[in-house]
Amino acid sequence: MILFPEGKPTRRETFDEYRASGGYEALGRNLSPTAILQEISDSGLRGRGGAGFPAGRKWAVAAETTAIPRYVVCNAGEDEPGSIKDRILISHRPHLVLEGTILAAHAIRASHAYVYLNETYDDCFNRMHEAVREATVAGLLGALAITIHRAPTVYVAGEDSAALEVLEGKPPLPRQKPPYPAAAGLFGKPTVVNNVETLANVPPIIRNGASWFRTHGTPDSPGTMLFCLGDEMNHPGAYELPLGTSLRYLYENVGGGLKNGAELKAILPGGPSCAFLTNDQLDVPLDSESLKKAGSTLGCGVMRFYSKDTCMVEETLRIARFFARESCGQCPACRMETNMLSAMLERIQQGKADAALLDQFQKIIDFNRGKGYCALINMPGPPILSALRLFRGEFEEHIRGSHCSGGL
Amino acid sequence: MASNYVLVCQNEDCKARGSGELLDKLSQGLKDSDVEVKPYMCFGGCQAGPNIVLYPQKVWYCGVKQNDVDEIAAHAKGGAPVERLTHGIDDGLKDLIYQLLDAGLF
Repeated sequence: MILFPEGKPTRRETFDEYRASGGYEALGRNLSPTAILQEISDSGLRGRGGAGFPAGRKWAVAAETTAIPRYVVCNAGEDEPGSIKDRILISHRPHLVLEGTILAAHAIRASHAYVYLNETYDDCFNRMHEAVREATVAGLLGALAITIHRAPTVYVAGEDSAALEVLEGKPPLPRQKPPYPAAAGLFGKPTVVNNVETLANVPPIIRNGASWFRTHGTPDSPGTMLFCLGDEMNHPGAYELPLGTSLRYLYENVGGGLKNGAELKAILPGGPSCAFLTNDQLDVPLDSESLKKAGSTLGCGVMRFYSKDTCMVEETLRIARFFARESCGQCPACRMETNMLSAMLERIQQGKADAALLDQFQKIIDFNRGKGYCALINMPGPPILSALRLFRGEFEEHIRGSHCSGGL
Repeated sequence: MASNYVLVCQNEDCKARGSGELLDKLSQGLKDSDVEVKPYMCFGGCQAGPNIVLYPQKVWYCGVKQNDVDEIAAHAKGGAPVERLTHGIDDGLKDLIYQLLDAGLF
């Protein structure tokens, strides 16, 4: 595999171990910015933070501007429920992440790189701090300045423009776009903000070439991805699999199925902002195109599996409450929508709603689509609407006030 | 249960513009009537707030000031609508909110 030789984190790599296994070789080739950018573009690497935007295209926007200075931000603001991949990459392979960050900085001729790190990740802070020190002593940074900056632990703080606000010393509020950060980001200058996992893929691509990278995964989603399994599974943890691997393989072979042999009912394949899948969709390949066809999204690879006896009304309410709580509140439409959806689901869950309320969700979501500065306003839609479609009977049971069977 | 409602938005923008006081004053002014004055989480018309909706009349008042309270209370009790406060809210948003109220969300 590309990020972990054994497909999962096994040991905390040291600087010497990293160098002994080919680490910093990519950097040592002193490739021109254009050559690095070209290789990343050719590799088809997509962002691993959730949106799946091609990394090469993002870098090209920044590289093609004339403004200086330019910045790179390694986004480890990780606050997605259930996501542990950024933490695991930095604690186990800090130099891989650092070399990727340095290469990205070279590609866009950035003078300063930031590691934007969830403030509760003390271990990662120490590991990255040590890695930066080791790389500095070894003369690997050249003129590049690197700062590790603690990120507040609220959901929107991981959004790229909110991260820039924090780096500027302000509260974590997403900016109105455009301009996108790659064109005008930190202090108004071109800034590439990439997820940790995205940057960790960069050194292996530069070392082994774009065509080698493309031997993993699918033509549209090359490479691998770290999938996070929660403790409802027999084998929770973070696992690296080639994109295009079937969901069944991840669920059965890697995760070992649900604990206590529970029967599977539903899957949330990419974090709380994606649509539910049902147990008859296990053969879907895990890549963006296939999941899109199946009606959902790959997101950042956080997988939740729900057993037969789960009440999907409660799960949907939990997600709606999460977004209502995490909406930063600066966009009125988002505040209204997330509060409204959460209040409506609460009514239904308590059996205090009229059946007509079920038809209002789509209208509210359609009305508010795209009316916020960031994507949060669009996030409650997929899980709520898919739950209403796939598990409508459970919602109706709640409305009738009868006992929720939790069954399909 | 009352059959007439005065719903007063209590989300941040409206509150910052005094909707807390509007709620108190309206409650006071209508306490001996069959109209129920209730806080509402948000109507989504934040830029035009404070917002007050009369239901089931489906009349939406925006930009309400403290000295508009008596006229709104009079309307709630069956008087004439306060025409000057009924402009400035998108019709699509009105429909959306009225449908939610029809579906029982208040």
